[in-house]
Amino acid sequence: MYLVRRAWAELRSEVLVLPSRTLALVWALGVLALPALYGDPYALRILTMTCIFAIFAASWDLLAGYAGQVNFGHALFFGAGAYTSALLSLRLGVSPWATIWAGAAFAALVGLAVGFLCLRLRGSYLSLATLAFPLIVLGLLFAFPGFSGGELGISGLRRLVVTPVANYYVAAISMLVIVFALWKLADSNFGIVLHAIRDDEVAARASGINTQRYKLAVFAISAAAAGFAGALFAHFLRVAGPSTLEVALSFQVVIWGIFGGVASIYGPVAAVFLLYPLTEWLGSFRGFGEMRLLIFAVIVLLVLLFMPRGLAPWVRDKIETPCPRCKQRNVAWRSTCRLCGAGLEAQVARAQRLVGHQ
Amino acid sequence: MLQDILVTGLVSGGVYALLAVGFSLIFGVARIVNIAHTAFYMLAAYCFYALLVKGGLGFVPSAAIAVAAVTALSLLCYRLVIEPVREHHAAVLIATIALALIFQELMLFSFGGHYLGIPSTLQGAVRFLGVSIPAQRLLILVVAAAMLLLVWFVLYRTRLGLAIRATANDLEVANLMGMNVRRVAMATVAISVALAAIAGVVVAPVFVVDPFMWLAPLVTMLAIVVLGGLGSLKGSLIGALVIGYVEAITVFALPAGAYLKGAVALMIMVVVLLVRPEGLFGVAFEEER
Amino acid sequence: MLRFALIAAAAIAFSAGAQAQTIRIAILGPMAFVQGEHHWAGAEMARDEINKGGGIDVGGKRMMIELIRGDTNEIQSVPDATNTIERVITRDKADFLIGGFRSEAVLAMQEVAMDYRRIFLGAGSAHPQLGMRVEQNYDRYKYWFRVTPPNSNDLGKTLVGVLGTVAGQIRKELNQPTPKIAILAEKAIWVEPILKALPPVFQKMQMEVVGTWQPSATATDVTAELAAIDRAGADIVFTLLSGPVGIVVGRQMGERNLRAVAFGINVEAQKEEFWKAAAGKAQFVSTIDTFAEVEITPKTIPFVRAFQARFGKAPTYNAGTYDAIHLLKAAIESAGTTNADKLVPVLEKISYVAAFGVVEFDKRHDPVWAPGKNTGIAVQWQDGKKVPFWPPQVKGMQPFRLPAR
Repeated sequence: MYLVRRAWAELRSEVLVLPSRTLALVWALGVLALPALYGDPYALRILTMTCIFAIFAASWDLLAGYAGQVNFGHALFFGAGAYTSALLSLRLGVSPWATIWAGAAFAALVGLAVGFLCLRLRGSYLSLATLAFPLIVLGLLFAFPGFSGGELGISGLRRLVVTPVANYYVAAISMLVIVFALWKLADSNFGIVLHAIRDDEVAARASGINTQRYKLAVFAISAAAAGFAGALFAHFLRVAGPSTLEVALSFQVVIWGIFGGVASIYGPVAAVFLLYPLTEWLGSFRGFGEMRLLIFAVIVLLVLLFMPRGLAPWVRDKIETPCPRCKQRNVAWRSTCRLCGAGLEAQVARAQRLVGHQ
Repeated sequence: MLQDILVTGLVSGGVYALLAVGFSLIFGVARIVNIAHTAFYMLAAYCFYALLVKGGLGFVPSAAIAVAAVTALSLLCYRLVIEPVREHHAAVLIATIALALIFQELMLFSFGGHYLGIPSTLQGAVRFLGVSIPAQRLLILVVAAAMLLLVWFVLYRTRLGLAIRATANDLEVANLMGMNVRRVAMATVAISVALAAIAGVVVAPVFVVDPFMWLAPLVTMLAIVVLGGLGSLKGSLIGALVIGYVEAITVFALPAGAYLKGAVALMIMVVVLLVRPEGLFGVAFEEER
Repeated sequence: MLRFALIAAAAIAFSAGAQAQTIRIAILGPMAFVQGEHHWAGAEMARDEINKGGGIDVGGKRMMIELIRGDTNEIQSVPDATNTIERVITRDKADFLIGGFRSEAVLAMQEVAMDYRRIFLGAGSAHPQLGMRVEQNYDRYKYWFRVTPPNSNDLGKTLVGVLGTVAGQIRKELNQPTPKIAILAEKAIWVEPILKALPPVFQKMQMEVVGTWQPSATATDVTAELAAIDRAGADIVFTLLSGPVGIVVGRQMGERNLRAVAFGINVEAQKEEFWKAAAGKAQFVSTIDTFAEVEITPKTIPFVRAFQARFGKAPTYNAGTYDAIHLLKAAIESAGTTNADKLVPVLEKISYVAAFGVVEFDKRHDPVWAPGKNTGIAVQWQDGKKVPFWPPQVKGMQPFRLPAR
């Protein structure tokens, strides 16, 4: 009973006080409850894909948004996870439950390698150089078709579980756990260091931070999450093919990430949850199904014009305001900060008007 | 075989140079990584195709209209889409990706997923050092050389060029010195996209026109400009020749590995970056200018 | 928008009224591309013919065909393809599935179709793996049948047959006892078995292989490859190309006046649009093909003419959806049911005279390759026209021509 009450208190003071966290909670519960309400296999397939891509987008955000390593070749990690898991489970007959971890681990190694190669690169050089890596790997895959399956990829994989509902839960629970873990990580000291590296690497180094080690770590972690998503993807579709390494996928994740709002983790996830089902739904219409990518691009462009920092930060700014004194976030309609009691911006602005500023 | 490599590498290098210089220019001045650069190249190719094959206009009017229309369109896109979000680097980036996708899908929708061929401007082939070179390739080389000279002239011998270089060097200071930074940026966009459009008009006839034709040259072009150093015109030119020769050597040395030529070119780029993180002729800068 | 709404409303009203009497066939293809266009066009022709003739006789009951257009977008995205097939099965309640093109996507779509035990007739991917699965795990994959094209190993047999004719002509006309052959194959899995099997055959046929070049399937430039082939002095460029590189090869060969003639598999050269795409430079490029106005079977010429009249172009092998639907009709009428499990044995034993040849299935559910029954044909581009020239015994074939030196 105590535990229940304790949990409720935690929930009230940590989650329900902020509309964005409440929204996140409602969304997470919704994700878990969905099959009970709406068990259509087609919808479940779309949402399973959505969950997998949400992991992928969140992992990109940790690397690009927080650490500022704007990766244009994130598909490399996705593909590494997909191929590793596929090869191990097909050639060695290992259970896919084990190989998805192997996929994530190998992707982490690849991430370390890429991170190491990119240590000295920054800004646009880094983006454009990383774009090259998946394409180089693609060339190698074609060079060893006996091993990689060439243009067909590795097919005939086993699924983790059989029914659509079970598949959905595997993807959804993985997504919730990984996204929450990434969000926690980004919110921790580690995340703060990443912020520092992104904003001013020289200053961070001058403050005694081993920026190289942090950059390698964030490459590895982000790649592991992306690789996990790739492995799930391979076993869900039962094919791990060269399309997992294509430029299109790398660009796709950049669009999701920036559209949702970088350096927030939940922004890219929200973007995937909005855009992926939306384009799929548009695709089901006779006549303009073939225009879905066009509509997708137009929506992205229009939304960006109104919300240049992305969707999630825009929404958050509408419903929450940061406290001018302690920088904690508060509901937009509060008049004083929930933690330090200082007057919130609206108040300050009114006071300034009364005094005669501006 | 040596003469084959020499000629072939030069010919493909010319194609790449034409594309890379425009991209490099817009990055150097406006700090825009314009993913849509080759999409403009594609649009010009389609426009040229429509006017020449469907509209029945001659080569010169079709080319002129195509280049002018695409350049105008790029200015429109810049004003409507890029300028409002100029402050946000990330937004600019995906705005250009979104633009490229929109162009791709519009072409897919209006022309279908067909492969189209543009008739060559010049017919026939010339034998040089015992290597047969189609005349169109020579035209590309000539146009590329002319365009590079022209760009060099504009940048280093005119007031506009001075303004462009000043802005590239330091936007804030240029602004304080009373330059109309916005107009300089517009002029740069126009020059850059015009170069892409000219490439579309002269290069597309040796390739196949389809809605996805912007992706492959985009990757090669990015490799070239990174290799040569972002924003450096000299670097882009030399990078283009390096990549052109690397590809030719790959094909001749390893016939069964001809498909690897793209991967090998990218690997060369990565190697160069490992040794010189700012590319061959890039400016080493600790912080983003 | 209003038009869409009206059409949708009409479609719903129609399907609600007619649901019990229709057989729903989903046509899966990349509808924004030529492949999907032909998938759909072939299917529409078959539907209209059958429905005009009173539909399909299912155990004494007449049922009409209703087509479902499934845009797989597979050229751009594999997940889109699997999403589409799931949609047509669970939402649109498709009874049968026909189509597919990109092998990576078809392999993934095959899995979904087998999950739901739907009969899936392939009309686009040549990959042997699709059929190997039937052999390895019959109970799961028995619902898959490939109608067209023959699997890539069988295509190799056709190639050898045609090369014999071409080499003979080179020996005779150019006085070249051992014609030199340069192999230009895209880097892909499907060409591997052909590349392994053919060079010894070439030697037996007294041809000299001067080299093998393997560009990427999506290469936009083969200048360097052609320069090397030119240097090697080849008489025949043996092509194995399925991607857009086929157009580039045709065009750039013409532009540099290569003296060799191109023959092999060039999927792009099978399309009506090829001549224009290569800007009229692809003189004498030849490839194996599926349909032409020749009498492969009595149905070929009427089909090709009707297709040409209705759509203004010649059908590609993807229009084999036409034959697939007719084949399905024959199977359903002989089984007297639309039950998939009962149709599988009927399809396995069927011998159906289609427009492109006689369709019989082997134990991998691949079409049986047999001279005189189902080999495909070979065509050559001559002055903007696609001219069929092989097999020579078929009525309507024309001579193969060599470039002037």
